[in-house]
Parts: sequence; C-alpha cells; structure tokens
Amino acid sequence: MMSVNVVLVGHVDHGKSTLIGRLLYDSESIMDERVEEIQKLAEEYKHRFEFAYFLDSFEDELKEERTIDTVSLMFKSKKNYYTITDVPGHKEFIKNMLTGASHADVAVLVVSAEEGVQEQTRRHMFLLKMLGINQIFVVVNKMDAVEYKKERFETVKNQISELLNSFDYAAEEILFIPVSAMEGDNIYRGSKGMEWYKGRTLIEALDEVKISEEEKVPRFVVQDVYEVDGENTIVGRVESGMVRRGDRIIFEPSGIRGKIKELKIFGGHLEEAREGDCIGVTISDGGIKRGDVFGLVESPPKLTKQFLGEAVLLGKELKKGETLELRCGTAKVRCEIKEIKEKIDSETGEVMERNPEKINEHDAATIVFATEPLVVEKFAEIPELGRFVLVKNSKNIGAGVVLQTNFFS
Amino acid sequence: MGLKELENKSIYIIREAYAEFDNPAILWSTGKDSTTALALCRKAFFGEIPFPVIHIDTGYKFTQMYEFRDRIADEWGLDLIIARNEEAMNAGMGPEKGKLECCTALKTEALMQCLDKHGFDALFLAIRRDEHGIRAKERVFSPRDEAFRWNYRDQPLEMWDQYQAQGEDQSETDGTILIHTRVHPILHWRELDIWEYIKRENNIPVNPMYFANDGKRYRSLGCEPCTSPIDSNAKTIDEIVEELRTTKIAERSGRAQDKEKAFMMQKLRALGYM
Repeated sequence: MMSVNVVLVGHVDHGKSTLIGRLLYDSESIMDERVEEIQKLAEEYKHRFEFAYFLDSFEDELKEERTIDTVSLMFKSKKNYYTITDVPGHKEFIKNMLTGASHADVAVLVVSAEEGVQEQTRRHMFLLKMLGINQIFVVVNKMDAVEYKKERFETVKNQISELLNSFDYAAEEILFIPVSAMEGDNIYRGSKGMEWYKGRTLIEALDEVKISEEEKVPRFVVQDVYEVDGENTIVGRVESGMVRRGDRIIFEPSGIRGKIKELKIFGGHLEEAREGDCIGVTISDGGIKRGDVFGLVESPPKLTKQFLGEAVLLGKELKKGETLELRCGTAKVRCEIKEIKEKIDSETGEVMERNPEKINEHDAATIVFATEPLVVEKFAEIPELGRFVLVKNSKNIGAGVVLQTNFFS
Repeated sequence: MGLKELENKSIYIIREAYAEFDNPAILWSTGKDSTTALALCRKAFFGEIPFPVIHIDTGYKFTQMYEFRDRIADEWGLDLIIARNEEAMNAGMGPEKGKLECCTALKTEALMQCLDKHGFDALFLAIRRDEHGIRAKERVFSPRDEAFRWNYRDQPLEMWDQYQAQGEDQSETDGTILIHTRVHPILHWRELDIWEYIKRENNIPVNPMYFANDGKRYRSLGCEPCTSPIDSNAKTIDEIVEELRTTKIAERSGRAQDKEKAFMMQKLRALGYM
C-alpha cells in the first residue's frame, strides 16, 4: 500500500470538513462511539448532525461553525493509506492552512456549486502553487443544492478552469468531480442524481494518484554530532537521493571533505540509506556542525550568500533592510531583506507594487535575501532544501521557496 | 505511512528537540505509546537516553504499572523522576471529588511542581493524533505558557519540519512567559501502527495488562478508579493487531475522564493536561 498525503483546500463554508467527514464515514473509519458523541453534541448545541463534527473538535469551532485549526486524519481505501488534512477556509487562519498543506502530495480544491470561486479559493490556489503542489483535483460540492444540474457544474467548472490557468496549472488536465458531501454523491459511491457524470468518484481518483520518485542528487542535513562508543557520529537525515558507505562527500558551509566510514543505526550498520532515512554517519575528520549539509564530491551542495525567493508573510510586516532569522533544513542563519522586488497579492497572484519598502501580513513577495553562508537549492530541483521559514522574535512569521541561488540583481 | 517512515520522522523530531532545547525530559506513563516513544529515543541516541524520564504518579495507578515501571527503568538504565503532588494526595484528592479536579491536581499540578523543581524547557509527550479529536489539532512543537495554558486559537506556523522552538526572549517581545514546549514525536502514529511496530521490533516491553484475561483487556492504561478494560480475547501482540484492524470501538472508551461532559478533554488540555 502507498501512503498519500491529501489536503483539502477552498473557501469557508464550501464544505471541506463535511467532505472529509463523509470520506471517513463512508470508508468506515469512524468509531461507533464518535458517532454517538457527535449525535449527543448536536443535540446539546441544537445543531443538526453534521459530518464536519468529526473534524472540528474545539468547542469554539462547534459554536462558531467554522474550522479554526488544521487537522489530519488517517483512513485507508482498498489501495492506499491516506492522511487527509482539513484546513480552515478563513483568511485569518492562513497560517494554519499553510501548516496543514505543507506536507501534501495532492490537493483537492473544494468549490461550492452555489457560490463558485471566492476569495479563499483564489488564495489557496496561489499558495498551493507556491508550495509546489502540482497534483490537484477539483471537487464541485453542494450539487444537491443546485438540483444536480449539469449546466451549473459546467459554469462553475469554466470559472475554476480560468483561475487554474491564471495560476499556470493546465486546467484541461485536471479532473473536476461534481459531488454532494452532505449526501455522499460521487465520493465513495456514484450518484443517482447525476447520471450525466461518467467520470471517477473522488476515492477512485485518489486511488490512482502517483507520487513521483525521480532520483535526485544526494543531500544529507546534519542535526547534531553525538559521541557513540567513543566515536563522533554525525546524525541527520537523507533529504534527497541515496548515500552509501564509502561515498566521498563534502560538507558545507564547513567545507570539510571525507569518506563515509560507516552508516550507523542503533544496534547495527547499513550499506546504504535513502531519502527520509535518519541515520548516523562517521568520517575521519571532526569539525562538523548542526546546519551543515553534505553531498557527493561530484555533485556538491551549493553555498550561497544571496538568493531570490518567493515568500508569504504571516507576521505583521516585513521591511526592506530588516534583519531576521532564516531556517532551511537544520541551518539557522541571519538574513537581511536586501531588496523586495515585487509585492504580490496572495489572492490573485498579481503584482501590486514593484520595489516596495515593505510588505504586510498575507502579502506574498519576491525578495532578495542576503544571508550568512548557507546551503540552499532551487526549489524546482531539490525541494527539501529549497524551502525556508522566516523567524522573528523566535516566531515563525513567513515561509518561502528558493527561485534562484547566488542571485545578484 | 509505513513503519520505517513513521520511525524516521519520530527520530528526526526527537533529535531536533534535543538540539534546540537545553533541558528536556520525557513523560512516561508506562503505557504502550510512551514506552514506544522511549524505544524511539533509545534508537535516536544509540541506546542511552540523555535526559530524565518523568513518571507522574497519582497514587492511583495499577500495581502492575508500578512493577512494570521499576523493571523497565532498571533494564534500560533510565534516569527516572517520579512526580507526585504530595500535598493534594495527603489532603485526600480522588476522582470522587470530580474527575476534572482530580486529573488537574494529581497529574497537571504534579507535573507543574516537577517542572518548577527541575526547570525543564521541553517535555516529550507520546500523544497521537488519532487518539482524540483535540489531540489531532496539536503541533509537533507546542508552546505552553507559565500557567501551562495551550493557546489553541493561535498555534505556531509549522511547515516542512521547521518546528518553532521558542526561547525565553519571547517574554521581552509580547509579554507572554513561555515555560516549556511540548514535543510530540509520535503525533503521526495510529494505535495500530504502535502495535505493528511493537510486533516488528520484537524487543519493546509491553505491560501484561494489555493482553486479554478472562475475556477482558486494557486498551489504554490510566488510573485504577477511572480506567476500565474492554471485551477482548486478544492474548498476544498478533491478536491485538488483528483486533485493531477491524474494531469500531474507540481506544479511550475505557477512560472515564474524557467523557464526563462535552469537551472535557479540551478543558483538561487547556489547563495543561497531557
């Protein structure tokens, strides 16, 4: 079985939580007790029974009838294990949306057939594109509320296609599914009301997802150095590619070269380690530190002092000339906002201003970052080392991706 | 996620927290989840856990839990700290005084006293998303203020394994005093994963209370007065795995404190409960 991370995005009240609740319920992943608990809560709060209550667990969420924070739930179909993530559809909770979406392999964009494209539909689309989530399904929900009419589905579909194209997604390659999360149409089973739709149900579409496994050059990030049996052991994670015992490697920014003597795990040794593996590495030399990255001598990590990135701001404001902390992999460096090239509206993706002095909360921007020597890679090449967060006063206030390394304007 | 992926992610989190914090500790209830978390720490640090292990003792735990605790602490050479709210225990605190009150005094307050005494800035906790809706909303690194409060309405941005390890300088910037950060290394595991992992590893100790005796077994361990067994004939790890693949009964169905009233768990957790 394959593990697939799915995130549901879209505007508030377009039915994301209801859709996930329905998926869980129809896949028989909900415990009996939870169903009873929800029925009791519905009575207590004088609401009708809602599938969304399986997800919205805070008292405030139930009272306010909206999702505040992201939640991930697990279920399995006949083919895959799914971790499915619900995110809030309000602008004020974008921070939580990003937290939820950052690990997704696939996104399902939920759009209400009644309302069509709305503000957060656009903003979530923009953010998905920035996060590099390229596999998308579109679900046109609440078809029951528009009497399952094909015409309405087509109208909304056209509207969304236009939006997708404007964000550089190829709309004609994307599957659109008319559903009713409330009634369960075209989610786990087909729909009697929509016999005109001959395509896949949502679960069929998800079951056919493929996760690309293209081989990348090896990168290993150093978390720490431990002394194990009297020997310095460099612990960390293989972020991309594969490393083998005997590989000739180079660490940056420390510049140390060496040959892998051993790949260690507790109680044993490995001959090779793959993407995602957390292991210990020994070499002859010392001096390696947390934040270092190693690669093979023939494809070494790139050191940069200035790069072009695209970022979205969750803090109050970010000014040109300001210094803050930037984190990428396990590296933590001081960085200066050297230049803000373009301030971008995170709802429409349009450039609002060139060379502004500052940007505000929820704005996106292309920024030239000047940093202490740091290993970053182009997001398009090695995403694991091409994404970063911005930290101010110990708080994560922004996130972005690397467009170009060693960038001097 | 497969077991290897789950394990890798946990080890990554454990090593991140150890690198970021000065004085961490791990909570150990002796149950299956926190014992698995200890086993993962042993892997992360090649056998020796470099920080203390806290057991919160309410005085109401099952005898088998105390026996198990002492045996494993000895076998694994743990630096064990036993946290007890002696004052409340002497004053006769018990579940009959109210479950919220009892859990708060004997668990949450006992832990507060322990943190005060030792000055821990990070606590590893073996909670899992699939245990309870409220726990599903947690971050991997989750800050708590001086009164142990969880500000669930304003949780940190946590993307791409960039966990926010807030330092003490926080107090200077917005007035909140951060006492400690909760670190959740097995948040992404399911109950079934835990048992499949225990089966695969074949060396993680399991409290015998989890195995069926006279048609009953404990699925989740807590204090004796507030924990009941479920109907089950699962006598081995394999049988437990099999049972969990098909069950529709919730894991914490035998835990009384969760269900006294609606949102009990949220209320407990907002007060600093684990």
